[in-house]
Amino acid sequence: MSELQDTARRLLDEGLVQVVIGWEEGPRGARPVFVTSAADCERLIFDARCVHNLATFLNPRRSQITALGKAAVVVKGCDAKAVAGLLREAQLERAGIVLIGVRCGGVAGEPATLAPPALSAETVSARCWGCDVREPESVDMLVGEAQPEPPVTADLDERVAALDALSPAERFAFWTKELSRCTQCYACRQACPLCCCERCIVEKTEPQWIETSPHPRGNFAWHLTRAQHLAGRCVGCGECERACPVGIPLGLINRKLQQVVYELYGYTVSEDPAVPAPIGAYATDDTQDFIE
Amino acid sequence: MSERALLLTHDGLATLVEELAAAGTPAVAPAWAGDAGRAAGASAAARETEYRTVSGAAELAFGERLPRLSLKQFFLPPTEVLFSWRRVGGGVELIPPPTDFAAQVVLGARPCDAAALPIVDKVMNWDYADELWNARRAATTVFSLACGVEDDSCFCSAVFLEPAAARGSDGRLTPVDGGYLVETFSDKGEAFVAAHRESFTDLPAGAGGEVLAVQAESFRATARERVAGNLAVDHGRLRDWLDHHFDDPFWAGLGPRCNGCGVCASVCPTCHCFDIVDEPESVGRGVRRRNWDTCQTCVFTLHASGHNPRQDQNARFRQRVEHKFLVYPLKFGDVLCTGCGRCSRACPTGQDLAEILADIDARAAIDAGAGAVGDEGAADEAAS
Amino acid sequence: MSVVNQPQRSGERAPDDSGRATAEFEPRITAFVCNWCTYTGADLAGTSRLHMASNVRIIRLPCTGRIDHVFIVKAFERGADGVIVSGCHPADCHYTAGNYHARRRFGVFRELLSFLGVDPERLTFSWVSASEGGKWADVVNETIERVRRLGPFDSYHGLAGAATPADDPFARFEMPAGATGGTAAAPADGHDAASQAPSGTGDAS
Ligand code: SF4
Ligand code: SF4
Ligand code: SF4
Ligand code: SF4
Ligand code: SF4
Repeated sequence: MSELQDTARRLLDEGLVQVVIGWEEGPRGARPVFVTSAADCERLIFDARCVHNLATFLNPRRSQITALGKAAVVVKGCDAKAVAGLLREAQLERAGIVLIGVRCGGVAGEPATLAPPALSAETVSARCWGCDVREPESVDMLVGEAQPEPPVTADLDERVAALDALSPAERFAFWTKELSRCTQCYACRQACPLCCCERCIVEKTEPQWIETSPHPRGNFAWHLTRAQHLAGRCVGCGECERACPVGIPLGLINRKLQQVVYELYGYTVSEDPAVPAPIGAYATDDTQDFIE
Repeated sequence: MSERALLLTHDGLATLVEELAAAGTPAVAPAWAGDAGRAAGASAAARETEYRTVSGAAELAFGERLPRLSLKQFFLPPTEVLFSWRRVGGGVELIPPPTDFAAQVVLGARPCDAAALPIVDKVMNWDYADELWNARRAATTVFSLACGVEDDSCFCSAVFLEPAAARGSDGRLTPVDGGYLVETFSDKGEAFVAAHRESFTDLPAGAGGEVLAVQAESFRATARERVAGNLAVDHGRLRDWLDHHFDDPFWAGLGPRCNGCGVCASVCPTCHCFDIVDEPESVGRGVRRRNWDTCQTCVFTLHASGHNPRQDQNARFRQRVEHKFLVYPLKFGDVLCTGCGRCSRACPTGQDLAEILADIDARAAIDAGAGAVGDEGAADEAAS
Repeated sequence: MSVVNQPQRSGERAPDDSGRATAEFEPRITAFVCNWCTYTGADLAGTSRLHMASNVRIIRLPCTGRIDHVFIVKAFERGADGVIVSGCHPADCHYTAGNYHARRRFGVFRELLSFLGVDPERLTFSWVSASEGGKWADVVNETIERVRRLGPFDSYHGLAGAATPADDPFARFEMPAGATGGTAAAPADGHDAASQAPSGTGDAS
């Protein structure tokens, strides 16, 4: 870890950044930390509990963070994809941030353990399956030792396939039951690095596009909208589902839409901000089998 | 209340739950959230529990993990109808919601969840008596289950409670060999026991009964001792510090980590803010509802003018702490927190209330000149 | 937005909608159409007196590119049984590319709706030009027949419960059973939920 800490210390010492956003050891496991002095760099850690997608903290509207000054942020490859999303959508200037990439061997589903867990098919995060950016390329520096491949878990795809195999009525019943627990707290939105709108549609009241009452009808409107707005933008980091206080399986919806944008438009979420997102772009010969 | 304690054996509990189900009396209890939880060797995730209406003893998860959401949803549902309206001729007719709720009983409430009820009662009966809250409170009998302490995030003993606190409970169960020792603390609790007397057994006379009483007391003492180590604060100086440090740089150390998601409020037994919305159901009719809300979201205090008095998350997180530990105590004489630790467990970014309170208390101690408190790490934290 | 094709039947639906499930079920269809092509095409269908069912309420928008997915959600929310989205053929968009953008978004949204259990058969996407009055009549008639076979979609409107004073003011005063707390159930657990889904009155006009 000293390489990570040394890098952060140098960036702060040389005045290249005023804050390093990374992870530290908290009372209940790993958690985000904002280090503003070189002396505090010894708090920085990186291990399999560093689950949080720190790109969420780059939302330019989080004024309590921008007030800290120019930031360096520690990113796993998947987090770098979210940063690319923010760059693609002109939310950030590349020159305005420093990206410290970490070589990643996979993370756990859950950061709140006192020691890093041994990764297994059960403990590894669903996001790690098939990861192609364990050594991110879009970063300014890459630290840490080369890591082994994370264990394979295709659990999420299997669950999506199981739902696909049902009839629409059965899926409607499944989601009615699941979504009935949602309280429309929007923690999923707050945790998401790409849900960074100045004013979310759910907060528009004239007209009230989304029924904010957490009955299943309001919840369907919210979830259809959240998912549609993230189609082709979601990096699959799973932070939304992890944040949810009532365990709504949002990962199923996100993964389904990742499959859809791939099947329809050949798009996989990219670490390169120059690759256009599928929604917002088009091709004149796009599929239109569904149009009469 | 009760002159002599009773025993609720495991079989007695099963009979009681079945009897209540058969009589159509909702029995809310901690229960396994999924089927998988019950299996031996189930993973931690599978062992999640929730409060819900149960119909059989097999669903019960007594003494297992803390339910993720508190009990408050049974008194303040995430959404509820305040009234319906319809256009009639040239006017509008308002139809109030019924407040004649059927009797329900909570079996095995965490003492920290039960204690939240009388605390929230105060604001619900301050300038306006909230009929819906009060009617649900009146219709509910609460039996708590003495708690063995969940983990290091619990701090009930730092907020004037303890793992077997009787506050807010009509009766209490304490685990002993073969079942639970039962005590009642109110007429409601007494009446419930009397109405279901055949499910309860008398404590064996003499030594046998004493052994159980000793077991119960030792269970409670162990828990008390365990939680005491988690946190201790001096509320007087804490309030004083909060009152004089509204603009302290300390808060700028807490806001950045916070997502402003309000998960802490969703899971909290004492957070009670709600939003009011009108929903059209059709042409000429609709409903007014109230829905859970939280001061942690950026729009909570947004004025129509565009001005927001709580501009950033630093101010919003300060609000969370100040409301609970300064404003509510001054106004209502109670800390708006029962130390359940749910906020710390559920926070997706690791914000930890016990840690924050310890930190403030250490600063308050220095301010109060109460001598050096050897916690320099805490001071560093806020500086970063 | 402007609304044309006012339905011939009364706008207020009788409180008792139970007949909707039977043979005389007349689907309510909301159509979101672009101003330049489909709206004009629909107008042509009207002036040509083509035989066309009257169950469709048309909402005119400048372009399919302006048709947000939340319009479709709102339509179902307020009691539509089916939705038509229609605009200019590819390469014919008045604004050059609005329909291409719409095509991408709706390609995804249709799959999303289906994944959440809204039968995609309740949705029609079509390209209808200003001169295709006949095609519009076909789109409308086919959509109505398809939705008629599927039956009413009151289950969507009814997800909020029957909070309608006329019939049952507070039938769903509480959250539905199992509505609070808990963790995700595996898909296999969810199938029995059909019976728990609140059955609404589908009352909207
Ligand atoms: S939608 Fe969820 S999984 Fe996708 S980027 Fe946002 S937080 Fe990550
Ligand atoms: S749900 Fe949509 S509108 Fe709301 S923040 Fe996310 S992307 Fe923006
Ligand atoms: S899905 Fe979960 S996190 Fe998102 S709004 Fe609903 S309850 Fe909150
Ligand atoms: S403290 Fe944690 S749970 Fe509360 S709003 Fe902030 S991030 Fe969310
Ligand atoms: S503030 Fe936190 S510890 Fe206190 S009652 Fe609420 S959830 Fe529990």
